[in-house]
Amino acid sequence: MSARKKRISLYDQVKETLNEIQGSTVPSYQGLHAFWLDPEVFLNASLYGQRLIAPDEKKAGHNGPHNTKTSGSSCCGGSSQASEDAATDSNPVTDPAVAAVEQPPTEIFIGDCWPSGGSGGGGGTPGDKRSAASGIIIGLKGQYPFDGSIFPPLLWDTDNKATTQQIELIAGWIDAGCPLTIEEEDNGSAKAVSLVKVRNQKLALAHGDSLHKASDKKTNQDTRKSKGINIRKEISSLTPAELDTYREALSCMYRYNDFWQDERSYDFWARIHTNSCQHGWEQFAPWHRMYLYFFEQKLQDYDANITLPYWSWSEYADQNKTSFKNTKPDLGVLPEAVGCFLTPKGLGQLQNAKGPDGKSLFTAKQISNLESIQKKGTIYNSGLRFLKAAGIPYEIINTNGDAAWSDRVRTVYNVLREENALWFPNRWPGAMGGPTSYPTKKDIQNLLSLETWSDFGGGPSYDHHFGSLEKVHNGMHNFSGGTNANYPANNNKWVGIYEKLGLTADPQSKENPPFGWMTDNRVTAFDPLFWSHHSNVDRIWAKWQELHNGQPEEMNGVLAPWSMTVQDSMSIKKLGYKYVRHYVHHDVSSDYGLVKFNSEKIKVSDSTLQNHEKLEIKLHRVRRGNLPNASIRVFLNAPDANIDTPTEGNDHFVEEISLFHGSCYGGPGHCNLPLDKTRNFDLRNLHHHEPRNYVINATATAQKLLNNGAKDMTVQLVVVGIDGKPIDNALYIDGVSLNFID
Amino acid sequence: MSKAYTTFKIHPGIGIARLGNTEDDFYLCPEQLGALPIACDELGREKVDANGDLVRVSQFKDANDLSKIKKQAARFKIFAYSGKEGEEGEEITIGGTYDFIYETPVMAPTLVRGKVTDIDWTVHVANKKASWYEFKETDGMHGYGPKHPLRNPKVDKPDQRRQLIIDPGPLTVNLKNNRGEFAKFGSEPKKKDNSKYKKVSYPQTFPPSDIKPHKIESLGSLIVNEQDKHCRLIVLGGNGNSGSTKTPVITSFVNNNGWFDDISDGPVTATIHFSFKQKYYDGDKEKTKTVNSTMDVQVPAWVIVGYPRYAPQMQDMITMDEKMYDLFVREHAYDPQVFGVAPFDEASNSPQTAAEWETWRNDAEYNPDYYPKFYKEIWTMLHRPDSYKYSYDFDFFAGSDPHNRGTGGNLSEEALSQVPKNGEDPYFRMRQFVYMIMRQHDEMNEYVVTSDQWPTNAKPRLMPMLCGNNPLSNTSPEKFLAMTQTQLFFLKQWMKGKFVNECEEWNDGDANCTNPWANPPTTGIGIDRGVLSNVLGGAFCPGGEISWIVDNPAIYSEPYRIKHATYLAGALSIPKPIADKDGSNAPNLAEGMEPGDMTKFIGIPWQADFHECTTQDVDVTYRGWNNIYLDSDGDPAEQDIAYNVPWWPAHRPIVVSEGPNSPQVYWASGIPPNNAGDLQMVQAWKDLGFLLATGEGINTAFYQQERNNDALGDPVTPGNRVLGQSIGESTEEDNN
Repeated sequence: MSARKKRISLYDQVKETLNEIQGSTVPSYQGLHAFWLDPEVFLNASLYGQRLIAPDEKKAGHNGPHNTKTSGSSCCGGSSQASEDAATDSNPVTDPAVAAVEQPPTEIFIGDCWPSGGSGGGGGTPGDKRSAASGIIIGLKGQYPFDGSIFPPLLWDTDNKATTQQIELIAGWIDAGCPLTIEEEDNGSAKAVSLVKVRNQKLALAHGDSLHKASDKKTNQDTRKSKGINIRKEISSLTPAELDTYREALSCMYRYNDFWQDERSYDFWARIHTNSCQHGWEQFAPWHRMYLYFFEQKLQDYDANITLPYWSWSEYADQNKTSFKNTKPDLGVLPEAVGCFLTPKGLGQLQNAKGPDGKSLFTAKQISNLESIQKKGTIYNSGLRFLKAAGIPYEIINTNGDAAWSDRVRTVYNVLREENALWFPNRWPGAMGGPTSYPTKKDIQNLLSLETWSDFGGGPSYDHHFGSLEKVHNGMHNFSGGTNANYPANNNKWVGIYEKLGLTADPQSKENPPFGWMTDNRVTAFDPLFWSHHSNVDRIWAKWQELHNGQPEEMNGVLAPWSMTVQDSMSIKKLGYKYVRHYVHHDVSSDYGLVKFNSEKIKVSDSTLQNHEKLEIKLHRVRRGNLPNASIRVFLNAPDANIDTPTEGNDHFVEEISLFHGSCYGGPGHCNLPLDKTRNFDLRNLHHHEPRNYVINATATAQKLLNNGAKDMTVQLVVVGIDGKPIDNALYIDGVSLNFID
Repeated sequence: MSKAYTTFKIHPGIGIARLGNTEDDFYLCPEQLGALPIACDELGREKVDANGDLVRVSQFKDANDLSKIKKQAARFKIFAYSGKEGEEGEEITIGGTYDFIYETPVMAPTLVRGKVTDIDWTVHVANKKASWYEFKETDGMHGYGPKHPLRNPKVDKPDQRRQLIIDPGPLTVNLKNNRGEFAKFGSEPKKKDNSKYKKVSYPQTFPPSDIKPHKIESLGSLIVNEQDKHCRLIVLGGNGNSGSTKTPVITSFVNNNGWFDDISDGPVTATIHFSFKQKYYDGDKEKTKTVNSTMDVQVPAWVIVGYPRYAPQMQDMITMDEKMYDLFVREHAYDPQVFGVAPFDEASNSPQTAAEWETWRNDAEYNPDYYPKFYKEIWTMLHRPDSYKYSYDFDFFAGSDPHNRGTGGNLSEEALSQVPKNGEDPYFRMRQFVYMIMRQHDEMNEYVVTSDQWPTNAKPRLMPMLCGNNPLSNTSPEKFLAMTQTQLFFLKQWMKGKFVNECEEWNDGDANCTNPWANPPTTGIGIDRGVLSNVLGGAFCPGGEISWIVDNPAIYSEPYRIKHATYLAGALSIPKPIADKDGSNAPNLAEGMEPGDMTKFIGIPWQADFHECTTQDVDVTYRGWNNIYLDSDGDPAEQDIAYNVPWWPAHRPIVVSEGPNSPQVYWASGIPPNNAGDLQMVQAWKDLGFLLATGEGINTAFYQQERNNDALGDPVTPGNRVLGQSIGESTEEDNN
């Protein structure tokens, strides 16, 4: 310790800073002179009615270490009220003969009594930080009344102006509880040093000196925090945490499956499809939209951040070029998220699995294979392929006349399902019988280019026909279910096996059906892939809706079993979600006016970079400082962008947004942020002061950069005052997000 | 949003010229409180000494002729504002470039960067006094009733009535045509006119040429000069001529039928000539040509001609700047930190719509946490009364010194400037004493302190002990003057100890600091306010240069700007009862003011009222009455009179001295305080002396100079009652 450079206490730094700003001439400061040098004065005194350091609310009511003055001879009382009293005591006003004429008035401050959503960051009243209510900070910042209207900015009688860093140092010291020594700093519960550090970090971020990291929170956590709607992402874009939560929720639902009317049971939801699904006419798309909506709501009861990810089939078209156009089954490729794999935990379960004889269920060779599978982390598109890799034969036994999995198969399948609730055993993706075609991007484009609802979505009950969307959808049902190669009708070898086992081939078989369950609309929803498949169907419809005006003929048609009509399904935004392939969020602190936003390199998968059609940059909850207007220049991959960076002819420049607003006028608190909308029957429109969002289309700029070989992406926002100069109190935002939309 | 074009404003917003009777010798209007006028050359270009400081005038008459008073010119400048927040603006230059709007009849307005080549200044002054209503104290302040008597009531035909207006028509001058004369066509002065449209006729109206004792052929003149590339306008007023169509007699201090004087006022506007290079194509070739165009100055001004300022450095108890400031603070959110809605910052006090203004006016209040600046907002008032001992003898029998600013005095600067420090406030009682004797607005008719809380039985007189807007009649009496509400608010804060001594805090620790605000103004608004600070701000009965109309918020387009009305040439408005006869224009305040509308309320001829505004005996028997008839039946009262209450000791000196060792004498010695004296004043105004200040701070003294004893005789000492001479106790008449 002694060898290190001597640590200087915060208070000494504060004194040094103020000495430096003041210079050699110290004005009277109402007789306080260099008030910062005497802690007793600094902490308790008022300068022309402005308390230099706001009283510590936490200590009000009892005497803290710094407010021990009781004498009436000083105006340095423990609180502003006490200070008034002290002044009164020493005043001749208390002489009753003189006093009645002009008593110092009893001033009752009515103040801001209405609850609000808190400070609007610059636009509203100062936050409840102690520093923000302290005259020294208000004065150094040159805020009212130190804006020259009543008093000039502090310090007085000097040409030196406090820098933002200097002000932050002092503010940090105040918010740390004004420790006077290093010991107080270290003992103080406020952790003075780290507080100052946090403030400096925030400031560095607001000036673009530090890079904003992408949020590692769940997407819907970020969107909800910025009061946006939920996002359904492509299933490959889910973060591990998001995927885990989704799987946990499904696993949980599986546990209630024995309680067949319990809405928490997964099968309860799967049976709704069995009983009520609408196919082959115009209610296909609306009905399934509502179906997903209600299922998703249930999942959100489990965890509010869950949305149903979509499976963008066409992105897997290259890999499935041959798998579908083939007579060989079970060659198809599905999103990895729904495949089967082994974790150490699952491996352990299998290693320890014992047969009825008490011996290991699996051979040493099989165990070794499983270990290797776990080690490699390979993900298999079907359970059958997993078994093959593990060298475990697919065995069927006769259980009371029904075909059933052998103990080994069942044990593996149980573990795989536990490992990944999105995997399903009766799934052999690939060809179903004869070769068919797999939808490519071009096919989806063609689908989207259909002009009429009738072509796209189908006909009404009195003139019903399949819409093209549904036709493509049908094919993908079949592809994802596929053909069971171990069913007698599909494989002569198995005719013999069935005969040997005394089993009759049963198309309704639960454990060895001829085709995957996805292919059969009675049982399709039992396969959890169903939801991502239909999420994609719904997305394509939503996209088509953006492009075309067509809609079902019967808008009042009821979508049983819900008391909802076709009309209710027409807007996904009204249902609280939208589709974004990949979403990257950056939290931004609105404690400081944004001068420059500079993001770290954003990790975006190659497939996202290749497959997005549109890149939107969204500025969340933008608030303006009270008076100055400003504009925001948006750049991509220009970490050094500043006010002088050219915008014309600059491949990195996206757009300049001008802010526009008037000053805020009303009673105390009027300019604060509005309350959150929490009341059920609050049908009012958007509140005047609700912070707004900006959406910037950066597609062209991003494409240009990607075509020139860029592998990552960074975002820069540069805030420019109307005079073309930097401005640090014009813009306050809560977040910046990148929305890769396909 | 910032606007791209430049805003041009004329400063001062209200310029003040003053009458004089020299040929060409004049000086420029002072632009700060209590400052001497600015010396200039024959074109009105200011003189600057070797240090770059303005040369000040200290001789107010012709060097060789004490019966010739120099005129004071109103000088106008144009400032450019680019619309930035907090911008102070700067005076435009010939050759300077600004963002102009260029439009032609066939082209949409475009923005061009143009170079100033010249400025057309247009001024239209008139005198409407004879055509207006009679002045009856406060009656008319809130509009005239249909039966309110007119001056010259027998002239009741609209066309004839309009002939009572002196209207020389507008004049336009610029750098090429740089002299204009508000004179009658064919008259001698008109020969000097080379104004831009001098060949364009106008239906002028002038009084008959045989009015006595002085005919009126001109209301003044205009000059354009260029100094340091700045193009400025000089407005000169009339010659002080007053005359009557009848045998000249004065029967009233304000309303004399048949009389005219050459006071005037009116709008000042300007059009800027600019040129710019325009690209065009001749076939495929790009060429440039120079285009000349003009743009009107968006924020025009007004000029008012007043009587000579005989004590130019002596400050009025309430200046016109303070009077208007009070109005703008309370009505126009001019200084929200003083008066507004909490939290009293700019952002919370920027109402835009009519509804917002209404809410604002309902909710706004004085800011209980406002800290007035001692020298700027407190001492500026409190030091004034002490200087009046050089223009008025407070108590010429006892010779007391109630306003002493020195150590131990009631108004000791040293004591009253002390801010409470560290909880110690040794001078609280002194401040409280001063505040308690200040007259509040509900005490306009009170003579002495009324509060039961006053610690002694002897109740002192309320201050200021000056006449109010109506100490004469029983209709809405306002017997005494009260400081403006804003001034009283400043004093209240100060009394409580809520004030800042700016010398201690912001003036580089200068121990000798006495007035940190003493530098000449450089900003447009500084000039606006500085010019008005030497104009009388009350009482208005009818007032000095202008009257109580300044209290009406409707006459302003923005703070310190008179709203311009549109009007037809030769058809200026006349009082409604007569205008209604032929459907011609009657004044409408909501539409703005016309030439002559600001000065028409003042007495005619001005010399009568001015002469009589010395002191007044005010009846203080009953609060609401000023006239009681002791001879009538049943009046039980013993009349109680407050004698010798002064009117405007800084504008109309009463008792003066010629030097530290000279006796006090009546300023108007030789002119009796009666109607005959009023008539004499029509001639004698030019022979009276001026008061010049000597010394600094509390040692400032004002002594008379340049009195024309050849015309008026030697001055008379109070108490020395010489036959027919003034005893200084003139009383204004009432109109009843």
